[in-house]
Amino acid sequence: MFEGLRERLQTARARIGSSIQAVAAPQKEHGEAPGLPAQPLHSSATFADKVKTFVIDRELIITDSELAGALSDLEIMLLESDVALTVTDAIVGHVKRDLVGSHRRIGQSVDALVVGTLRRALLDVLGKGFDLSEYIRSHERPVKILFTGVNGTGKTTTVAKVGAFLKKQGFTVVIGAGDTYRAGAIEQIDVHAERIGIKIIQHQQGADPSAVLFDAVQYAISHKIDVVLADTAGRLHTKANLMNQLEKIRRVMKPDLIVYVDEAVAGNDAIVRAAEFDKTVGADVVVLTKADMDSRGGAAISIAHTIGKPLMFLGTGQAYDDIMPFSPHAVVEELLGDG
Amino acid sequence: MLDSLSTSLKDALKKLAGKTVVDRAAVDELVKDLQRALLSADVNVKLVMELSKAIRTRSLDEPPPKGMGVREHVLRIVYQELVRLIWTATDVKLEPQTILMAGLQGSGKTTTTAKLARYFQKKGLKVGVICADTFRPGAYDQLVTLCQKINVPCFGNPEANDPLALTRQGLSAFKDLELLIIDTQGRHALEANLIQEIIELNKLTKATHRWLVIDAALGQQASEQARRFHEAIGIDGVIITKMDGTAKGGGALSAVAETKSGIVFIGSGETIEDLDRFDPDGFISRLLGMGDLRALVERAEEAITADAVDVTSMMKGKFTLRDMYQQLEALNKMGPLKQIMSMLPLGNMELPSDVYDVTSTKMVRYRIIMDSMTSIELDDPSLINSSRMQRIAHGAGATLDEVRELLKYYKLMQRTLKGLRGQGGKFNMQRLMKRFSGMQ
Repeated sequence: MFEGLRERLQTARARIGSSIQAVAAPQKEHGEAPGLPAQPLHSSATFADKVKTFVIDRELIITDSELAGALSDLEIMLLESDVALTVTDAIVGHVKRDLVGSHRRIGQSVDALVVGTLRRALLDVLGKGFDLSEYIRSHERPVKILFTGVNGTGKTTTVAKVGAFLKKQGFTVVIGAGDTYRAGAIEQIDVHAERIGIKIIQHQQGADPSAVLFDAVQYAISHKIDVVLADTAGRLHTKANLMNQLEKIRRVMKPDLIVYVDEAVAGNDAIVRAAEFDKTVGADVVVLTKADMDSRGGAAISIAHTIGKPLMFLGTGQAYDDIMPFSPHAVVEELLGDG
Repeated sequence: MLDSLSTSLKDALKKLAGKTVVDRAAVDELVKDLQRALLSADVNVKLVMELSKAIRTRSLDEPPPKGMGVREHVLRIVYQELVRLIWTATDVKLEPQTILMAGLQGSGKTTTTAKLARYFQKKGLKVGVICADTFRPGAYDQLVTLCQKINVPCFGNPEANDPLALTRQGLSAFKDLELLIIDTQGRHALEANLIQEIIELNKLTKATHRWLVIDAALGQQASEQARRFHEAIGIDGVIITKMDGTAKGGGALSAVAETKSGIVFIGSGETIEDLDRFDPDGFISRLLGMGDLRALVERAEEAITADAVDVTSMMKGKFTLRDMYQQLEALNKMGPLKQIMSMLPLGNMELPSDVYDVTSTKMVRYRIIMDSMTSIELDDPSLINSSRMQRIAHGAGATLDEVRELLKYYKLMQRTLKGLRGQGGKFNMQRLMKRFSGMQ
């Protein structure tokens, strides 16, 4: 899914690399000239060594203006890949901070320097991943997981996928049908639950979602079930009453983990709403859906960075097993790797 | 709605308005700010680049028309280029037709289908809905529930798995109805078999319109997705959904530019009535700090009966307490005051927040007080002196302060409406210029 971004980053890497090399070439000659006449004064046995050290270990200072062109190219490339403006600024800023004024030894490969910098910048931006199975193993059962997000991001489908994923890992799971607002939502999750063979707790449409989810938790406790997955109705972060309802759900069911679901194709607004959800009910981890629509993957990076929450899964298709645990190191390697 | 985009654009324009001489550097600065504003609103990068290039060249090359300052000249170009960016309004005809809904998963097709059915039903057409989404569990239940609320027939079968066969049955079952809306499964452009399916659906239904539903939050992907949908079935209208959030809808703008179509409707809430017609001129004006007057009038026409307030005559200037009495009642019917106000072209004029605070209970109080006024007082509020005030308060069982508050509110409304006069309908560039100049 990251092919687009990967391609662009490879180009950026070459671009910055060449810009540094272009700078390095003339400076080498200038640098040596004033240095040489001084050498004979220190005539000693180590003279040859000194020259060697001087030439090879001499450091070059990379300046701001030399990188400007390459950095602005990098900026446009990131923006085109759906990386949000602020995150783009963060990455470009990081690369600039790392490279400008840095001392590059002549013997050091330009490519390694650039890759190292980009890798640090991306890892910095991506944050840590999140291992759900590990989390469940290390916590008291039942582990209660609440899914939140705006309308149409794919919460219900994600609940089903995570249910299938956990079932495959050997956990017992119950789903609480907390979307009692949208017409057809209960039927939708009911069908999903039946297909993947998971027990579902539901009330009628229009019921109090807190009550449904409370029942789901009670069911899990009395049946010694490992995980409760709580679906909720999608809501826009601007609707105060709906956000209050979500806050009530949180109070009543006391979730261990709040999962914020958004789509990988969302633009800059993703940041605004993620922050708003985080503020009202909190968000421990993030799931990004519809990642298969976006070959560029920039939104994933942006959201992970801005909420400052680890990314747990990526949804990559319509089937139940189209879900991918997210590992920042693997992604960065994929983006910058040579293969 | 679109608040953030218009704030950043206004900031960018304000910077230019502060300049005394428009030189190359000033234009460059504006263009850079515009770029950032549009990019952060998710407008496609290439589109932004084209736009800024055109503005820069035109601002520097074209001589300003006589009588227009250099600064106004640049503003006019910005406006024109933005209008060009969002293309033209699409005409929605009230005649028998078939509408095919297309869009990505979760963009809001099903909800919008029901909203559209309601819209055309209110305009007096016999509407029918076909659910061609045989993939998503619950899709049929969702559409049926929504259609039942508005008494629109809905054809579908949750057990079926062939959308083409199902649609064929639906078409023959509904052949007596005037307007058919076909809701389809969510799909994205990279799913070749699903794209093939919608091509066949389009052939089968011979749809008059193929509307693409786009989430206001959709990012840079919008262009690409819209292009592929356009190639497949020829999109002739775009509907932006979830515009009541903070998303700026820039992605939808890119989609419009890509399909060379217009934005037909915008969805702005969860209830079935929350669908508005889109008017690009108004949209741009609003982007630049003016309101969308036409949408308000259209909405008002539906909510107000013939004998109630005539919005247009009110705008013309005569505004008495009697008008306010009727207006308070009418506004109550139209929905929350704040929503109405956000549609009025108030521009940069910041309304005091207490204008919004007229809650329904307060409106009732106001009405009781006005009931204690004579008809001469209602027609000419300037007559009301302190002894008349005493009498009114006594008669209404209210305090003097309440009467004063009512009169204050009346004056505020009067001033507001005075400010609106003369801008209705046509976009008034001159006034806009003045307003921008005034912001320095």
